[in-house]
Amino acid sequence: MKKRSFNLASLTRSKITWAVVAEVLILLVCFVIRPDFFSIKIQESTGVLYGSLIDIVNRSAEISIIAMGMTLAIALGGTDLSVGALVAVSGAMALKLMRWDVLEYVTPGNYSVKPFWMAILFPLITCTLMGLFNGVLIAKGGMQPFIATLILMVSGRGIAQILTDGKQFTTMYAPFKVIGQGNLGPIPMPIVIMAVVCILMGLFVRKTAFGTFVESVGVNRSASRLSGISSDAVIMIVYSITGFLSGIAGLIYSSRIMSNDSNNAGINYEMDAILAVVIGGTAMTGGRFSLVGTLIGSIIIRTIVTFVYYFGIVAEATMAFKALIIAVVIILQSEPVREYFARRSDKRAMVKRG
Amino acid sequence: MPDNIILEMKQIEITFPGVKALDQVDFTLRKGEVHSLLGENGAGKSTLIKCLTGVNHKDAGQIILDGVEINPQSPEQAMEMGISTVFQEINLCPNLTVAENIFIGRQPMKRGRTIDWKTMNRRADELMERFHLDIDVTRPLSFYSTAIQQMVSIARAVDVKAKILILDEPTSSLDDNEVKLLFDVMRDLREEGMGIIFITHFLDQVYEISDRMTILRNGHLIGSYGIHDLNKVQLVTEMIGKDIDVIFNLKRADVKADAAYMLEAEHIGIPGKVKDISVNIKEGELLGFAGLLGSGRTETAEMLFGAEKTAKGSIRKKGKDVSLKNPHDAIMEKIAFCPEDRKLDGIIGDLSIRENIMLAVQARRGFLHPMSRSEQEKLADKYIKALGIATPDAEKKIAELSGGNQQKVILARWMATEPDVLILDEPTRGIDVGAKAEIQRLMLEMCGDGVSVIFISSELDEIIRCSNRIVIMRDREKVAEVDGATCTQQNILNIIAEGSVAGKDKEAGV
Repeated sequence: MKKRSFNLASLTRSKITWAVVAEVLILLVCFVIRPDFFSIKIQESTGVLYGSLIDIVNRSAEISIIAMGMTLAIALGGTDLSVGALVAVSGAMALKLMRWDVLEYVTPGNYSVKPFWMAILFPLITCTLMGLFNGVLIAKGGMQPFIATLILMVSGRGIAQILTDGKQFTTMYAPFKVIGQGNLGPIPMPIVIMAVVCILMGLFVRKTAFGTFVESVGVNRSASRLSGISSDAVIMIVYSITGFLSGIAGLIYSSRIMSNDSNNAGINYEMDAILAVVIGGTAMTGGRFSLVGTLIGSIIIRTIVTFVYYFGIVAEATMAFKALIIAVVIILQSEPVREYFARRSDKRAMVKRG
Repeated sequence: MPDNIILEMKQIEITFPGVKALDQVDFTLRKGEVHSLLGENGAGKSTLIKCLTGVNHKDAGQIILDGVEINPQSPEQAMEMGISTVFQEINLCPNLTVAENIFIGRQPMKRGRTIDWKTMNRRADELMERFHLDIDVTRPLSFYSTAIQQMVSIARAVDVKAKILILDEPTSSLDDNEVKLLFDVMRDLREEGMGIIFITHFLDQVYEISDRMTILRNGHLIGSYGIHDLNKVQLVTEMIGKDIDVIFNLKRADVKADAAYMLEAEHIGIPGKVKDISVNIKEGELLGFAGLLGSGRTETAEMLFGAEKTAKGSIRKKGKDVSLKNPHDAIMEKIAFCPEDRKLDGIIGDLSIRENIMLAVQARRGFLHPMSRSEQEKLADKYIKALGIATPDAEKKIAELSGGNQQKVILARWMATEPDVLILDEPTRGIDVGAKAEIQRLMLEMCGDGVSVIFISSELDEIIRCSNRIVIMRDREKVAEVDGATCTQQNILNIIAEGSVAGKDKEAGV
């Protein structure tokens, strides 16, 4: 093994360190205002964990899952604006499929479905294909990712509306409810799904050479191609993954509300996901990426939202407050600030040694 | 001094970190002449121009314009002094109209507040008339062809009351008729007494339009000549120069008599890039590609590697037909390629040396069969040692290495794939003499191990020194094949130069 230096200066230079610092600071403020913020209890009736921290992680599932894919898209030097719209498509499709035989069921609400797996699988396949569509436009059509994914961002919600004839369906079908509101042992299901997705993604990019290929294409597409990497294939796979993950997030979201909501499902998710990736230390210019950083980033974003809800900040000010905290986090992570602290700790280390 | 001298640059010196880009260069431009500035890439032409236009600042020397010493600090200042430049890439705004492009930043105003469109369009019309162009100046620039856009940028440059006009590779994207149109304009301007500095790598055009020429090589002035003082062969010789034989005793490996053909390409070509070329190479042979820049040598290499798909013909590897649609296909066939532009097509700047070395091997295995970290480290360490790459460890970013070391990393990337055929496009350009010699030694070593090496270079002496056989290219086709052991630089120069005339007629027929 090679020696890796873990001195304070290299830690202060890392963006992830500062993301963690920011998260801890926000949590500390929460703790000071509400000492019971950190308590985690088991709900006696269901045996499921509950508490503010659990809630934060639970509610961050959609963004965390999407941001895993977004990290790869950004590492390629691109971005995917269509994720929020795909969340809506996924939910609309699932709810539509659960009502195939609606006429046979007179009791409103409690619809079951002839093959239930269709209501899960079809939305995922559709979203993957829509992601692939983005990838083809970018890789083969040579379009700017921003523009290519804008197409589905704009039209996706329309597609969702068409799927459901502009109606909002509700369901009470129990198996579907498990996805967003169920639990595995004491752990809420969205957290389980999010953990599985994060672990699988981590294994996929780091245990295969895919992560290296993504970084390579993101830094220099032409040189990567000349080294034998199928740059186009890498791009198409990444956008398909992002589409697929948006599909999963869509199922979780619609299961939470047991309904489809083409207008509001996944709204602003693309921005939150991009933000999570950036806070996690992946540069918008592409290249090196960190999935762990992204995970921390999306939890920070959710922490802020929870913070705002908990402490009774008026609803109208929510966005402004969120923006304020995010601005502070980003400034903490900026090059000059990190350099400043790194230099200070360099100096301190020298004083100690000298 | 004679009073028709408009510009004098004396003893110009410019140093970049680690390199002397210009060393005591003199340059004189007279009124009413077209003066060609010649030299290979990296000779210092553009540095000299950038010094004159205030982009780069000189460390020593004088610039005298019309008898007054000047020291331009920025292109805008240089333009005010009467020095206008038209660059190779058109730097106008394609979405604006022709008139707007000509007057951008100095629009005629009405009462000092609003733009006087009428006057602007009328004056643009007058200007275009002077250039014999009958176009609608209110159309967006992108509506017109590249040649017209080029004319517009010249018109713009001239209209700011220029005394000196610098044209940097203006003809590289023009066809024959358009070049003629441009030359007519240049002649008109010459008649009006303007001094024109013309940079090009088309030698025919130099002889067609210029009155005098100045040759630079490696930042040194080689000389200024009247157009009839030097013929093409002498000109090419002066441009390329003769490298001092610093290289230690390199010995060309002989090809075994019974060596089989490794790679045979028959009648491959891409319209507009390479006409039609057949080459073959035997096991353990070193095949040199000589020819000026733009002669089609890089494009040929790219076809043999699948980076550009050949439009016709066939390629056989060890007697078996292969289809090379992309670089990945070629890598599967054990063909390797070090591209000409190291920065653009070679290095992955943000990744480590280790990752840069393992990339092609990994690409061949596919991402589902990753190399373990320890395998990667072993591979990287092996080649860092074998090629003498100067770095503290394999985790350093490749972008932080010197050019020579970057080139060695790229070479390592391909050596690690254990290729049968290794194509090297200008592997020694822009690196110091020591690294150059080492790369040549590695090439010859690989030939000794039975690898077929294709070696493309602009430096004839290194081609002659290393190659068993030399393919000479000119005007996008192969014109000759000579034996490396018996030919001389003069042979090759003659073949390259004589074609500049003969080749042109042929080209017209395509």
